[in-house]
Amino acid sequence: MTANNTRTASVHDYKEVLLGITGKDFTLIAASKAAMRGATVLKATDDKTRQLNKHTLMAFSGEAGDTVQFAEYIQANSQLYTMRNETDLLPSAVAHFVRGELASSLRSRKPYNVNLLLGGLDPITHKPALYWIDYLAALAPVPYAAHGYAQYYCLSILDKHHHPDITLVQGIKILNMCTDELKRRMPIDFKGMTVKAVTKDGVIDIEFDDDKIVKSA
Amino acid sequence: MAAMFSQNPVMNGPNYSFSDAPRTANGEFREHRFNPYSDNGGSTLAIAGADFTIVAGDTRSTSGYSINSRYTPKVFKIGGTTSSQDDATILLSVVGFAADGEALRDRLDAICKIYRYRHGKPMSVTACAKRLSTILYQKRFFPYYVHAILGGLDEEGKGAVFSYDPVGSYEREQCRAGGAAASLITPFLDNQVNFKNQYVPGSGTGHDLKEREVVPLVRRDAEILVKDAFDGAVERHIEVGDGLQMMTITKDGIEEVLLPLKRD
Amino acid sequence: MDSLVSRYSRPAYEENEVAFRDEEQQDLELMGAAPPLSLKFAMPPIAQPSSWLRAATDDRSNPDCPIKIAHGTTTLAFRFQGGIIVATDSRATAGNWIASQTVKKVIEINSVLLGTMAGGAADCQYWLAWLGMQCRLHELRHKRRISVAAASKILANLVYNYKGMGLSMGTMCAGVTKEEGPALYYVDSDGTRLAGNLFCVGSGQTFAYGVLDAEYRYDLSDEEAVELGRRSILAATHRDAYSGGFINLYHVKEAGWVKLGFEDTNPIFWKTKLEKGEFTNVTADLN
Repeated sequence: MTANNTRTASVHDYKEVLLGITGKDFTLIAASKAAMRGATVLKATDDKTRQLNKHTLMAFSGEAGDTVQFAEYIQANSQLYTMRNETDLLPSAVAHFVRGELASSLRSRKPYNVNLLLGGLDPITHKPALYWIDYLAALAPVPYAAHGYAQYYCLSILDKHHHPDITLVQGIKILNMCTDELKRRMPIDFKGMTVKAVTKDGVIDIEFDDDKIVKSA
Repeated sequence: MAAMFSQNPVMNGPNYSFSDAPRTANGEFREHRFNPYSDNGGSTLAIAGADFTIVAGDTRSTSGYSINSRYTPKVFKIGGTTSSQDDATILLSVVGFAADGEALRDRLDAICKIYRYRHGKPMSVTACAKRLSTILYQKRFFPYYVHAILGGLDEEGKGAVFSYDPVGSYEREQCRAGGAAASLITPFLDNQVNFKNQYVPGSGTGHDLKEREVVPLVRRDAEILVKDAFDGAVERHIEVGDGLQMMTITKDGIEEVLLPLKRD
Repeated sequence: MDSLVSRYSRPAYEENEVAFRDEEQQDLELMGAAPPLSLKFAMPPIAQPSSWLRAATDDRSNPDCPIKIAHGTTTLAFRFQGGIIVATDSRATAGNWIASQTVKKVIEINSVLLGTMAGGAADCQYWLAWLGMQCRLHELRHKRRISVAAASKILANLVYNYKGMGLSMGTMCAGVTKEEGPALYYVDSDGTRLAGNLFCVGSGQTFAYGVLDAEYRYDLSDEEAVELGRRSILAATHRDAYSGGFINLYHVKEAGWVKLGFEDTNPIFWKTKLEKGEFTNVTADLN
């Protein structure tokens, strides 16, 4: 009973930041760099993302251990599919596969407690895709998304500033508005963001300034 | 289905199979607790028109699944010179805990009477509304368990309805439903009094639709609306029924009617 | 002697704050002998009034509580070159029930002072009205207007006096005086009192902060500031279910405050979406 309670409680570790933004021909995925356990930051350069195939990237947060285990299980199975069939699954197919795995896990004795953002790009049409998936295996295709406290601070910014046909540079600018707001208003230091973009050339790392100090008005 | 069997302890036969001794969620016997409130059910409703105000309430009084009385008024005249309240100019409806409601009514009535005696004129509704708010707030830490609605005519002769939460926050409105069936009556009122979700026919489709202009109701229409609202509430809420007490204030004074509601 | 000592060993503010009252006082007050708005509150006859009150009225700690007090809000105020913008939504909720969509959450304390309302509606209405009275008394006694700093301090001291008793209010005092210029203070029922340039208060505060922080500058023009205030409340009504209804807008200028409007959110939302292309997560066709 107690163990169960602590497990569900840690899913609501809202301090981890996940953000996703789609644009004209890309999907941006950003995740906070801090790996936190209780009151301690264990690592300040953590990468909470895994590449599933050439055009799909998944960011994750939630219960320690579950996150990486689940992400790498999905990663391995996506890669297995690619090798067997000599073709990648489309982002939407991966998303529904992930949802299915999470849903069956949820009904098992020990479910994975993981929240996910799955971003991708259709390699032929170059249409971006972003899926918001929570630990209860709810899935929603969205133009922009966030998990944790970031939802409360960033969704209103994205509501105002997001357009479906923005360029990657504009997307990064909006992402900066979001991280600035988090630095300004969130009472914890999330140690900056790992930022990656899925483009027609695959997943690319984005240089992101983590050292900027933001003060509130 | 929960109320298929009688809760009357004297009645033998099928009943809830667990003992009546109160227990906590953990199954332990519950210790005595300070519990000064009960809920006597019922519903109230007030509508303001251009030159009148209707305040209405059903007359059933309940506790749990039992009906205590089929005629216990919830609408009261306030601030007349005598106990007959013939020359009253303000109406108060209270729903929730009847004892608190009556205490509140007596208090407000006494204050209005003292005002009338001292100033030689009745209190205005707007002043009375503010005073009622402070009376309720005086019991902020031991609230009156009531939803009060005050009705009257303002200084310009226009209908005025003021609604209150149990601790005295208040607002002037066109109409308000209170009590057990408030959640059933309010959407009906939104649609029929404030014309919410009503559009001008043929004004377009989708976003071009024009909202129907809101105009104050005619007295006869408002009275029909009140009766319809309560007939609807009686049909779907167990704590509402028996009689409909409807009081209408105009410049000529207060008229009271008692209409029958279903008694089952 | 002891009674003399105890009389003067109390802080001055306690002089007129008597929490308990007896029957005699009640009757006196009813007859009008006690001054109106005297701070004497009825108490339940038990050892721990506040924990009983919590069980009876606090929806969060006891979802089955019999008395539902109106809650939930988004309010904001910010200082800029042209004065102060004050904006609020207008929804009051009691549990999941929307008790009202037309609440006036900006309280006009006097012609140069505004208060905003978040938390318990009755607490805010009553104490801000009381604050208005104190401000007027200050004017009469000192022959000059009270400063915003002093007014907010009166309120902060008052609520601090009732700390732990269950008051719930998050308010902002905005106003102008000759000495201070436009001034903005945040006061809540914990007793916090802060001066600042920009505050958002209520369940929708984070959403409002998001939009407001991103484009806030002190040198905003009047039109830009009003639009930013309106857009920030709109953002909160869109994402926070406890906020909604109408957008109430005020501008505090040097001569006093001006009311700019009480506008329905729904048409503003669709205008913003269809004309500016924002809110791309919402589909525009109604089929």
